[in-house]
Order: sequence, then C-alpha cells, then structure tokens
Amino acid sequence: MEQTLPTMVFALLSVLLIGLSLVVVTARSVFRGAIALTAALGVVAGLFAFLGADFVAASQLLIYVGGIMIIMLFVIMLSQRPQDQYDRQTNEQWVWGAFFALAVSCALIMQFRSVYRGIFATTVAMPTTASIGRLLLGDMVVPFEAVSLVLLAALVGAVYFGLDDKDRT
Amino acid sequence: MTVSLHHFLMLSAILFGIGIFGALTRRNVLGILMSIELMFNAATINLVAFNRFLHPEQVWGQGLVIFVMTLAAAEAVVGLSLVLAIYRNIKSVYTEKMNILHG
Repeated sequence: MEQTLPTMVFALLSVLLIGLSLVVVTARSVFRGAIALTAALGVVAGLFAFLGADFVAASQLLIYVGGIMIIMLFVIMLSQRPQDQYDRQTNEQWVWGAFFALAVSCALIMQFRSVYRGIFATTVAMPTTASIGRLLLGDMVVPFEAVSLVLLAALVGAVYFGLDDKDRT
Repeated sequence: MTVSLHHFLMLSAILFGIGIFGALTRRNVLGILMSIELMFNAATINLVAFNRFLHPEQVWGQGLVIFVMTLAAAEAVVGLSLVLAIYRNIKSVYTEKMNILHG
C-alpha cells in the first residue's frame, strides 16, 4: 500500500483533465471553454511533472499557459459578439462526431491495453534539463534549426495576415 | 495498484477522443483550434509516458515534446491571425459562414 499516494495523485489529475477537456468541447461560451483549456493545460503540466519531466512541465506552463492561451483569449475577446452566448455551438452532425470519437478512443484503448499492459517504472526520475539541452544542441541540432525557421515563417505569416488590405502592397 | 504505462496511454486516448469530438462538432473556428490543442496534448502525454516507462535513461521523447510545443505555437499563431483576418471580412467565426471559396 506504499504506492497509494501516487495513484491518488494520478487519479485526481486524470479526473480533472477529462472533466476540463469535456468543458472545453461542450461549453456554450467559447471564452469559458478557453479558460477551461488553460486549466487543462496546467493539469497536463502536472502530469509531466508526475512523469519526472521537469523541464517539459515548466515549458508547458510557459509556452502553452503563458503564451498560446493568452493569444487565444485575446482573439476570442476580439471576435465574439454578445449574440454568440445564445447560439448553439455544435453543428448538426454531433451524434456522428460523438460516435466517431468514441470509436477512435475505444480502438486506441483496446490496443494499448493489449500491447502495453503491466509496464512499471523501474528507475527513479532524475532532473532532465541538462540532458535535454545536450540533446537539442547535439543529436537534434538539425530539427532545432529547422524549427527556428518555421517559427520565423509563422511570425512573418501572422504579421502578413494581420495587416489591413490597403497596407498589403 | 501502482500507476503503469497503460494508464497514461488510456488517459491520452480518452483526451484524444474528446479532442476529435470537439474538432468535428464545434461550429466556432476558435473552438476547433482549442480542440486541436487538446489532441496535441494527448500526443505529448504519450511521448513523455513512453519516454519515462520504456527508455528512462534517454530524453528523446521529452526533446520531441519541445518540438511539438513549438509547432503548436506556430500553428496557433498563424491560425489565430487567419481567424482574425476572416472575421474582419465576414464578421463571423462560424464555419458554415466561411463558404466564400465555393468548390
């Protein structure tokens, strides 16, 4: 019974994550959904910390919660009208969508249960920041540089699409 | 009962399913973008869990998660600026109104 605390923490994080993501996809107000998504991403950072990935948990909080969600909240505030609170937010195919999502989930779960059952962590989690840094500037240096080009292209594209038509010569 | 690999995989499968449901059924483009972020996170949970349980002495999975996050940020930035540009033209964020480009 010495493993009760990790199991309880994992169960709590799972229930929080599933509940919050259900709010994300079903909330009538998309702003409320974005707040729930922010909390869900924080819970995912908690799961990363639970898995011993400290650097990834910190960058999840920094990039997702502190960066992407702030932009998303700004765009939501810039593009919503008061009428949106009263419109329905799902389309007519939601039954088939739910069926398809359930089918994909069940297929993945059955596959995972049959293949990866009963694999436990054998080592104690260690801090990984130094080894990730060595990996990014060693074996992964080519994708590292490529992704910086992608970021530059995304930046230029965002500025271009953000311009007014008359400024875009 | 201890937490093992397939618990994490099942959690991420459920999260992925919820993300698919949102992406298929939301009318709002911003809701679809948020559902896609949910699916990205399901994939990153998988990567970190495989890294922790199968190859604990290496960090390739966690390094890959950094790239997934970066690309998700790039995707969100471009997607959101496209949403704003479309909203300026047609004053709506609903997908059924975005039918200027008839096939």
